Amino acid sequence: MPRSVYKGCDDFRQTSAGARERWLAPQLTRRQALMGALGGGLTIWANQAMPFARVFEAAEAQAASLPDARVLVSVFLPGGCDLLDTLPPIGAYGQYADLRGGMKLEAPPALGATGLGIHPSLAEGLNGGVKGLFEAGKVGFMPGIDYANPDLSHFHSRHFWETGLITERAAPGWLGRWLDHHGSRDNPLQGLTLSSTLSPVLATASAPVAALESPSDVALDVWGIGGQQERQMLAAWDRMSAVGARGDGPQAVHDAARLAKSVGDRLAPYAEHDDVDPLAPPVAYPEEDDLGRRLSRVAALVAQPLGVRLASVDANGEFDTHDNQPTELADSLRSVSQSLAAFQADLEARGVADRVLTLVWSEFGRRPEGNESSGTDHGAGGIAWVQGTHAASGVLTEYPSLTDLDRDDNLEVTVDFRKVYASLIEGWLGTDANEVIPSANAYGRLALVR
Amino acid sequence: MRGKVATLDFVVNGPPGGAQLRGPEPRVAGRPLDPLNEWGDNVLWWLDRMIRTTHPLQEKLTLFWHDHFATSEQETPLMLAQNRMFRARALGSFRDLLGDVTRDPAMQLFLSLADSTKDAPNENYARELMELFTLGTGYSERDVREAARALTGFTADWHDDGAVTIQYDADEHDDGVKTLLGRRGPFGVDDVLDLVTAHPNHAPFLVSKLWSFFVATPPSRTTVRALVATYRVNDLHIKPLVRAILEHPQLYRNLDAPDLVKCPVVYVAGALRTTHTFIKQDYASWMLTTMGQQPFYPPSVAGWDWGPAWMSSNAMRQRFTLGNYVVEFGRPRVLRGSAPATLTPQEAYALAWSAVGEPQVSAATRAALTNLAAHFFDDLDPRWRDQADWRGEALQSTLRHLLIVCPDSQLH
Repeated sequence: MPRSVYKGCDDFRQTSAGARERWLAPQLTRRQALMGALGGGLTIWANQAMPFARVFEAAEAQAASLPDARVLVSVFLPGGCDLLDTLPPIGAYGQYADLRGGMKLEAPPALGATGLGIHPSLAEGLNGGVKGLFEAGKVGFMPGIDYANPDLSHFHSRHFWETGLITERAAPGWLGRWLDHHGSRDNPLQGLTLSSTLSPVLATASAPVAALESPSDVALDVWGIGGQQERQMLAAWDRMSAVGARGDGPQAVHDAARLAKSVGDRLAPYAEHDDVDPLAPPVAYPEEDDLGRRLSRVAALVAQPLGVRLASVDANGEFDTHDNQPTELADSLRSVSQSLAAFQADLEARGVADRVLTLVWSEFGRRPEGNESSGTDHGAGGIAWVQGTHAASGVLTEYPSLTDLDRDDNLEVTVDFRKVYASLIEGWLGTDANEVIPSANAYGRLALVR
Repeated sequence: MRGKVATLDFVVNGPPGGAQLRGPEPRVAGRPLDPLNEWGDNVLWWLDRMIRTTHPLQEKLTLFWHDHFATSEQETPLMLAQNRMFRARALGSFRDLLGDVTRDPAMQLFLSLADSTKDAPNENYARELMELFTLGTGYSERDVREAARALTGFTADWHDDGAVTIQYDADEHDDGVKTLLGRRGPFGVDDVLDLVTAHPNHAPFLVSKLWSFFVATPPSRTTVRALVATYRVNDLHIKPLVRAILEHPQLYRNLDAPDLVKCPVVYVAGALRTTHTFIKQDYASWMLTTMGQQPFYPPSVAGWDWGPAWMSSNAMRQRFTLGNYVVEFGRPRVLRGSAPATLTPQEAYALAWSAVGEPQVSAATRAALTNLAAHFFDDLDPRWRDQADWRGEALQSTLRHLLIVCPDSQLH
């Protein structure tokens, strides 16, 4: 079928849009987005009505009670990141070159004495990028990560990774389930998605969570007047909103009207004013890069007393590299490397690096043999890594063989992603993994934290 | 004043000779719209129809069908063709509409009906046909599979100019016997559509959904029964059903306290239409997205979440922002010298209310705005008041803005 007018594959386009809706648990649809967000502002999901004033009290209370609480950041590389070009096996370069033909990386830099190389884009950024972080002992790579009998649909595989469950049914995210067990009952900022919509990883059954694109985009916007007159206008807005309303619709309208103003008031200290950004990063992030921008806000908000425990960020790269992988992947990994290197330097400069561990993941790997369009098709045995001052460093899992492929000519899976989840829950968040990952003990553990 | 019956006749039938567009043609940055090629112009094209049409109900039903048969993310020419089809069929026979929807290229591609063949029937369309389009409940997984078999045979032809046409290839159709909704036969496409629309669950499903588009309170069982009878006796035609809903006493119970949350499209189109503001900028298009309803891009095949779900702090913030644009660029713009600072608070309020099309406003809103007018000059030395027209004009802009965005304006 001549559907090549579309870049990428139909399944991937679907994954990022419509059809995904039904994969979120029904109780997590917008119906319960008390303060919803599209195009900027703050959205809060909660199971029960929550007076907004309490949100920040709760945030500050949680931060005060656990000032050193550990934070886990999930960074998703959408589309299925290729293992072979991310960490090329220079010890088996001939086999790699045979599989990849003209699209292969020529002379990739070595990754220490591991026998592996690393994509040159991952050496870009502050302090040598991700490669520099590896050399500084702050990155642990997990090649071959996936699950048994991998499903090569973006849609299915991503859902499995998001939920930590191999199920087609709707379910909360694995980090959302952790919050359901161990999170606060009233601080939505504990689980923060840096986007206008909730990350499925952080979808909960009951614990409140929030999505925020930027604290600078939450105040009511008034043109043409300022000072005393603007305050009077907004006071009139408050009076109109404060009126008691009968019925679900009028109630929702008046609640939203009140919240719209109070959110802006409450986040004002974190918003940009007169070109002064109180959350401005102390280090240089890549310019015009969504991933970098979002990570810079994660670093800034983690450093504030807001009780952020879990954060989810999507990379904006093109990892579904069916075509022209050499260029596409190089650009995408450059953004990842520059953004993550800046993020790490930022956390260290703010003095919170010891509290933050980052997991970088993608929904599957790619076929070892390249295709006819200088690209690779969906495969198994992908790549993930942990990053942080307390991350175990090195190559933490077995690199899959390039000769013993599975029956679909894909890489063998050498580590189940649920083993990584269980290890992070116990090793970093310090709670029993069986609460969140069913039969967690069956996967064993990896030492991901030092 | 027309009587209620005559008014309803007009609302439902539109003017004799069909809908017309009145008022200036839409333009963006001085150029005519180019819905096929310019991002967002497709949305402006439709909004312009809503603003200028002499038959608004037709556009409302077009919106209803866009949500009901939600199709998303398909090529613009296909989506616009589908939109025209919805408009042409908006108030006609549901069965005819369903036939067109089933053969519609955008829908065929969205729900994988195109290229669903006898060797590999795709269940996507068959499932949504029953779950979301006609029945809701009352069918089994087996019915889905059997309907998918009966719906095989469509193929898509992609043309160089981006157009897609749907063909029917009898060789790719499964002509075997199927068991569907309790009947057996070598069913084909139209048999499936006949069976689902004749199913006892269809009429209650559709009338309840259409009711909820107009009325916040769910219909009573008696109401559903009466509407089902109307729908069936009129051979599944929509116009008599809509008319029955619009004359239902429930609709007139709380006329001065509306309780249905406007969807963003109705809110934006309504704000522009009632203030006689025509499309001259592109803000209305992207603002709809920020409010949570991007036409031609419903979030899933289930359409948008309606009712109170439209409301959130951020969606309300975006609705508030719309007022800036309408007062800056629209008909309610305050002209120099038109609003002296010497107006009484009541006069200032009345001027603003009439400038934005005399919307329905609660006593509380009116009191809050009159109070604002009374105190807007508090920090000004009274001796300077007669020389402070700029302040009077700022007050007018502020009052008009608040009238356009106030909580009352979010409900209908």
